Amino acid sequence: MSIPLFHVLILAGILFAMGLACTIAWRANVIMMLIGIEIMLNAVMLTLVGGSAQWGSADGQIFSLMLMALTSSEVSLALAMVVYLHRRKQSVDTDDFTSMKG
Amino acid sequence: MTTYLSLMLLIPLFGGVLNALVGRNLPRRLAESLACAAVWGSFVCAVLAALAYHGPEKVVVAQWFQAFDLALPLSLYLDPLSLSLCLMICFVCGLIHLYSVFYMAAEADYARFFALLNLFVFAMLSLVLAENLVLLYLGWEGVGFCSYLLIGFWYTEKENADAGRKAFITTRIGDTALMVALAWLFQLFGTLSITQLNGMGFLLPAGIVTALGLLMLAGAIGKSAQLPLMVWLPDAMAGPTPVSAMIHAATMVTAGVYLLARMYPLIGSSTVTTSAIAIVGGLTAFYGASCALAQRDLKRVLAFSTISQIGYMMLGVGAGAITAATFHLLVHAFFKALLFLGAGCVITAMHHEQDIFRMGGLRRTLPITFWCFLAGAACLAGLPLTGGFFSKDSILTALWMKGTALTQALYFLGLLTALITAFYSFRMVYLVFFGSNAHQQGHHEQSDVLPMELVLIPLALLGLFGGVLDLPGYLGGGFLGSFLGPLSGAHPVEASHTEELALQGVAATLALAGVFAAHVRYGGAARDNRLQESLLKPAPLVAFLLNGWYFDALYRALLIRPYQALSRVLWQQVDEGVINGGIDRLADGVGSTGSWLGRWTTGQVAVYLLSFAAGGALLLGYLAWRSL
Amino acid sequence: MNPDFPILTLLLFLPLVGGLSVALLWRNPATARFFALLVGLAELALGAWLGSSAPAAGPTGYFLYQDLPWIERFGIRYTLGMDGISLVLVLLTAFITVIAMLLFWQEVKERVALYFALLLATETGILGVFLSLDLFLFYLFWEAMLIPMFFLIGIWGNGRKLYSAVKFFLYTFIGSLLMLVAIIVLYLMHGAQTGSYSFALAELVHTQVPYTTGLWLFAAFLLALGVKFPLVPLHGWLPDAYCDSPSAGTVVLAGILAKTAAYALIRFAYPLLPEAAHAFTPVIYVCAVIGIVYGAWVAFAQTDMKRLVAYSSVSHMGFIALGIAAWSPVALSGAVLQMVNHGITTGALFVMVGMLAERTEDRESLHYGGLWGKVPVLAFFFLFFNMASAGLPGLNNFVGEFLVLVGTFRVAPGAALGAFLGIVLTLVYTVRLVQDILFGTPSQPVSLSDLSLRESATLASLAVIGVYLGVHPAPVLDLIKVPIALLTKA
Repeated sequence: MSIPLFHVLILAGILFAMGLACTIAWRANVIMMLIGIEIMLNAVMLTLVGGSAQWGSADGQIFSLMLMALTSSEVSLALAMVVYLHRRKQSVDTDDFTSMKG
Repeated sequence: MTTYLSLMLLIPLFGGVLNALVGRNLPRRLAESLACAAVWGSFVCAVLAALAYHGPEKVVVAQWFQAFDLALPLSLYLDPLSLSLCLMICFVCGLIHLYSVFYMAAEADYARFFALLNLFVFAMLSLVLAENLVLLYLGWEGVGFCSYLLIGFWYTEKENADAGRKAFITTRIGDTALMVALAWLFQLFGTLSITQLNGMGFLLPAGIVTALGLLMLAGAIGKSAQLPLMVWLPDAMAGPTPVSAMIHAATMVTAGVYLLARMYPLIGSSTVTTSAIAIVGGLTAFYGASCALAQRDLKRVLAFSTISQIGYMMLGVGAGAITAATFHLLVHAFFKALLFLGAGCVITAMHHEQDIFRMGGLRRTLPITFWCFLAGAACLAGLPLTGGFFSKDSILTALWMKGTALTQALYFLGLLTALITAFYSFRMVYLVFFGSNAHQQGHHEQSDVLPMELVLIPLALLGLFGGVLDLPGYLGGGFLGSFLGPLSGAHPVEASHTEELALQGVAATLALAGVFAAHVRYGGAARDNRLQESLLKPAPLVAFLLNGWYFDALYRALLIRPYQALSRVLWQQVDEGVINGGIDRLADGVGSTGSWLGRWTTGQVAVYLLSFAAGGALLLGYLAWRSL
Repeated sequence: MNPDFPILTLLLFLPLVGGLSVALLWRNPATARFFALLVGLAELALGAWLGSSAPAAGPTGYFLYQDLPWIERFGIRYTLGMDGISLVLVLLTAFITVIAMLLFWQEVKERVALYFALLLATETGILGVFLSLDLFLFYLFWEAMLIPMFFLIGIWGNGRKLYSAVKFFLYTFIGSLLMLVAIIVLYLMHGAQTGSYSFALAELVHTQVPYTTGLWLFAAFLLALGVKFPLVPLHGWLPDAYCDSPSAGTVVLAGILAKTAAYALIRFAYPLLPEAAHAFTPVIYVCAVIGIVYGAWVAFAQTDMKRLVAYSSVSHMGFIALGIAAWSPVALSGAVLQMVNHGITTGALFVMVGMLAERTEDRESLHYGGLWGKVPVLAFFFLFFNMASAGLPGLNNFVGEFLVLVGTFRVAPGAALGAFLGIVLTLVYTVRLVQDILFGTPSQPVSLSDLSLRESATLASLAVIGVYLGVHPAPVLDLIKVPIALLTKA
């Protein structure tokens, strides 16, 4: 039995929305923000895999693999930066960091 | 003829330019001789032109400029009017140049002085000889420019520079009216040639002729110091005395009369214009004479008398008596130059004292000056048989004979003015030359003044006997009348001999009465009483006359102050305030809007993310809405 | 001369190439200066040679013409042409540039090579405007000449130089953008009508423009050109830019840069949109007359000499605008002649003011006085150029003003009457300036040196041209006769 693409897309959409909501709402903790981003990325990967299954093409799966590798490196970089930021201000609240402005 | 006329213009031009450019490096005597030689050279040319003269002649020297149908040739016109004026100008200016050599002997900046004098002669001659109105305008502005610099010749004194500036600007107002007339004439006829224009006046509707005439009158008013633009001439006396004699008495100020006489065939057909000319002339004659009554400065007396005498000439033009006006112009040039130069001798002898109440007794110390000055005063007063008598009287006769209510009213005004003129002339003579020399601080050596005095003699002779130029009909008629008559375009009514004699009798009686009144009030013992009075504060009426009816104050309050104030308002309120301020405010507005929008970039990642999400949502929403 | 030789291109780019080479000499200011002068003189000589050897103008009025494809995809061509009007203005440009370099030889002490390079680059920009016959090319040069000027004011200026430079740039740039829009609209309309897309002036004049659209397009042109002209009330940048610019920059700005607007009005705006131009004529009359009177009036209030001359320039440019608006042969001849005269006279006045300021570092006219006796040569020239500027007959400005006034009086007596008033007001501020500087006694003692031989000779050359054009303006009038006849016939 196969799951229709439509269901996959709905699931991915829900996942993406949850990730986005997490990222936007949980601004007090940069770690939670990162988790939100990961969830959004997973939603995207799910879409790619779903598409790949639907049309019988390997492209989407390969791209998901690449994304996994990218995500892991991204997370390691991001966590390193979080550690650095924490060291500077003893805080993980994103609102404490406002130097990124014109 | 072309050679004579062009040389007549070019010699003084060359002399002036040479003196202006290198005069400072020339030896003094050379610069002076150059200047004098230039003018006398011009005189020789004028005489030669007169000898070769057969009839009115138009000469095209060169092309000045041409743009499409606007062609302006440098053309000269020699007719009796311009010829007689040229002779007078060259002769009087030549004498004044000689006089200046001595008068300005102590002046270090002689090159500038003589350069300007020569340039003036050039400009004046081109004004008179011009056949083209634009060339006339060149001379017209040129004399104004020279007068500006010569009035302010002693430029370190603010008053002198101010007087020059006042003269230049005031006359420029009139000049602009003339320029409007030029533009209009060109629009109407497509030519600016005087001879052609004079022949085409009848083509125009009366209203336009009147308007043109009034514009030219405005030009003449500025240059000839008539009401209401006369305020500059008394102040122009700040210049050296030879300049006053040459520019502000004999030549330049009569340019307005010349212009009107020259254009009379065109503008004379309008009664409104001629009446306006006559009224301006009559009022100015009275105004000048009344002011001259109260002046204390010798040169200012003469300045106001010049204003008044030019008023007479305008009266003559207004009455259509071009010959009489020209006659008076010529004779006036002689005797007024004489009076000014005499005043120059007096002022030199008095160490630059110009207050007539501080003079006296010069009859004995400067006998030649006294007799010449007396001759000049007699001409000015119009004592019988002097040149001034005949010329002034021919104007008054023409006024009377014209016979309208206006001209006869003006005739009586003219008679009254003649009475006043005789009075103030001899007031001046009595105060300056009679009595004791109580206030004198010692004289120059006679030899200093003597060469200058010699120049007075020919002028005195010409003034006294200038009458022979145009004797009245009962004495056999005049040379000038027949010489100028056919060209002036106007045919004044001829007076019968009896009428003429009667009118002259009236004028002569009044002149003698004026002299007698002056004798009673200023002669003999009465003179000392007047000197005592002069130390007191002047009565209101005297102050009114002394200040020229307060016209200066009026103009300052009405025109100059508002102009200055408004210029500041325009600059600071309008230019800096509205235009610049508006732009600056606009720029500030753009800037502050930018920084207000910039406040969005708080630096908080969450805000950026939210904006990003909102933007994405908007985009998606738009796409969804489009695909529906 | 080989007819195929691109002489116009040489004329156009000689200053730019020369300027680039000058910039390479930055290590050696003295050589750079000298080389720049040499380039300027070569340009002037080339222009004079072209003028004297110009073959008879063809029926189109152009006696030199060069047309090469450039960006063919958009119908953009490299078209240069020189007729009488261009030639006169090219000569003026080359002459004024040399004068500006010669008289302010030592004014700039730092980055000398760059300074002269930028002056020469400006010259190319201005020449480009006078020579282009392709609207795209014209617009390119029109904007290009702003850039070096901006740096000249911004780097070597004085006072609030950055403010003035930015203001100058923004004012002219915003106006120009509107003109660019108008050019593109014309281009598209012409392309839609004929099927061939072209920026060539000769093609675009045949565009059928609906009346209302034409009004909008002309308004855009007028705004762009009116800023640079400047027409009141668009002159806000001018006093600041003229005052804060280095003296040579001011001379170039007032002497030639301002003429580009008048030239573009005559060459492009009027022929392209004749109906709209006719409809806008009253507006230009009003702006011109207000400019004449207003400029003269405000100039009277100034005590900063440079600012006074700046406002007087507004007033004088009003006469040129008046002559163009009248668009009659006589008035237009006067306007073109007056462009030359204004370049000479106002250029010379800025030179004199700059010299005084260079000597005393003081531009306040009330601090001077009595210079007539102290520095006679300088005083003589000062008086001379002031009188020329006041329109004394026999000197150059009179002829131009007279032609403009007489020509305008024929078609619009009312406008001419307003301008006549300006003649009086001009004299008022002129004699005030002369009196402040030359007459009286100084309120503060000023020590001055009289003109050096170099300065006297340069000013004398300006004065000689002034007298020559005043006494015998025929050569210029003859040169511009054919083009003006062609323009006004249309």
